[in-house]
Amino acid sequence: MPDYDAIVIGAGLGGLTTASLLSKNGFKTLVLEQSDIIGGCCSTYESQGYKFDVGASIVEILHPMERFFELMGKRREDYIELLPCDPIYSFITEDGRRFSYPTDIDETTRVIESIAPEDVEGWKRFSSLGFEMIDRMMDAMMLSPMKTIPEAMRMVIKNPEAMRFLPLLMRTHQAVTRKYYRNPVIQSSVAFQSYFAGAPPEIGSGIFGFIALTEHLGIYYPRGGMISIPEGIARAGSEHGLEVRTGCKVEKILLEGRRARGVLLEDGSEITSDLVVSNVNAKVAYLKMVGPENLPRWAVKAISSYRHSMPCPMIYVGLDTKPDLEAHHTVVTGSIESMNKVWNDYYTKDLIPSTAMSLICWPTEADPSLAPEGHHILNFLCNAPAPYAPLGDNWDRLKGWYREEAIKSLEKVVLPGIRDHITYMEISTPLDFERRLLSPQGSIYGLFSDMTSLALFRPHARSRVIDGLYLTGSSTHLGGGVPTTIASGIITSGYVLKDRG
Amino acid sequence: MKNLKKALLLAGLLGAVAAYFAADESTRRYIAHIGKQVPYLPYRYFI
Repeated sequence: MPDYDAIVIGAGLGGLTTASLLSKNGFKTLVLEQSDIIGGCCSTYESQGYKFDVGASIVEILHPMERFFELMGKRREDYIELLPCDPIYSFITEDGRRFSYPTDIDETTRVIESIAPEDVEGWKRFSSLGFEMIDRMMDAMMLSPMKTIPEAMRMVIKNPEAMRFLPLLMRTHQAVTRKYYRNPVIQSSVAFQSYFAGAPPEIGSGIFGFIALTEHLGIYYPRGGMISIPEGIARAGSEHGLEVRTGCKVEKILLEGRRARGVLLEDGSEITSDLVVSNVNAKVAYLKMVGPENLPRWAVKAISSYRHSMPCPMIYVGLDTKPDLEAHHTVVTGSIESMNKVWNDYYTKDLIPSTAMSLICWPTEADPSLAPEGHHILNFLCNAPAPYAPLGDNWDRLKGWYREEAIKSLEKVVLPGIRDHITYMEISTPLDFERRLLSPQGSIYGLFSDMTSLALFRPHARSRVIDGLYLTGSSTHLGGGVPTTIASGIITSGYVLKDRG
Repeated sequence: MKNLKKALLLAGLLGAVAAYFAADESTRRYIAHIGKQVPYLPYRYFI
C-alpha cells in the first residue's frame, strides 16, 4: 500500500494548484518543497523588517486563479486579497523621457497621442484585435490542454476563430510590434515584454506582444507580498487534507521499470506513491530525478534539446525614503535594436550587458506593510539576460562589482542620490537562483519559449515515457508566469483526474 | 512525375535560400535560430 495517493515535487504555483485540486478530489496528497518557503518564483522572504518578493512581482489575467477557487468550491477573496495597481507601467526611455500607461484604455490612447499621434490608429487596431482575442480565446488558450495534435484540433474545432490568431504565434514579437506602431518609443514600450517571455524581440513569439494588453484588464498586487498567492492556494488545499512539507529535497523519482513508485529524499528516506507530479524544471525532472539511464534514447534527445530560459540577476533594496517613482512597475527600456543587441552582442557571447534595461518594482506603493514605517522597498530586475557563467567566471566573485554597477545604474536613470538612502541591499545572481529554486543555470522562466518550444512542442503534462509521472509549472504548457503556472496546475490535475479520478 | 517532384523540391529550396539572402540581418538570425530547432521538433512532440 503506497504512503500517499499523490506526491508533488515542488511547492511552486503549478505544484500547489495541482496538489490542492487532487486533495479536493479525495487524493491523499503530499507536497515536498526543498526550500524553507513555498511559492518558488512567486514567493517572499523577510530580512531586517523588509519583505522582498523573490521573483514574480504582479498578477494579471485573474481568470485561472478565479477558476482554481471555483473548482475548489471556494471564494478567492477569502484566501487572497488583491490590491489593484494603476498606472500599469511607468516608462523611462533611453533619452530620459518618462510616461505612464494607465489601466483605462481611453487614457492610454491620450498618452500615445501625446507622444506619437501617428500611432493612435495602430494602437486602436492592436487593442481591438487583442481584446477580441482575449474575449474569445482566453479560456481556450489558457485552460485547455494543447500538447497533442488531437487536443489542438479539438481546441480549434471548438474555437474556429483561433486560426485568425495563429499568425501572431508564428510571427516574431518585433514583427507584430512594428506592424502596429511606427514610433520607436511606443514600439519599445510594447517590445520590452518579449524579455518577460525570455527572448529578444527578434526571436520571441508575437503572441507575447499582447501580454501588455491583458494588463489593461487590471494588474494586482497581493496584500502581504507575492507569497500570499501560494499561501492562499495551499490553505485552500489544506482544508481538504493537503500536506505540505518544506525543507525536504527530493533526490530521485523511484521507478519500477518505467513506472513511478515514489521518491527518494536527500536524507535517504523513501516515500511511496504510484502517482508523482513534478513541479521542478522538466530537464531536472527527467535528466536528474528520473535519470537518462531510465529513458529511451529519443526521450533523452528530446529533453536535452530544450534550451533554458534566460537568467537575470535580481536586486532587493530597502530604502529609508519614498522613491521618486510613479507606478508599481517602472520599466527602463531601450529601442528594439538595443534589446536585440543585448542578446546578440552580449548574452550569446557570455558577456554581462552594460545596459540600464530593467524593471523596477515598488511593492510598498501598493502595500506599505511590507517595510517598517517610513521605509520602502524596491525589487530591481535587470530585464536583460545575463550569462550564467560570464566568460567562465563565477557570480559569487562578481557580486560586489555587480552591486556597485546596479547602484550606479539606479542613480543615473531613476533615483539620483539613492545610495545615501539604502538601508538594505541583497543580490540574487543566476547562481543564487539556481541554488534557491533548483532552476538550472538560474533560468527564471523555465524552458526557453519560442514557437519551437511552446504548446505541442513543450514537455507534456502527462509523461509519455514514465507511467504515473505528471509535470506541471513553467516547463509545461503555457510557460512561465503567475496566471500561466496556475493554469498549468489546473490542466495537470485534469489529466490525473481523467486517468484516475 | 518523379522529375516534377524533384524540380518542385529544388525550386522550393532555391526560393528559401533566395528569401534568406534577401532578408535583413535580424530576420536571418531568426531563421537561423528556428532552423537549428526544427530537427528536434519530432522528438519534442512526443516527450
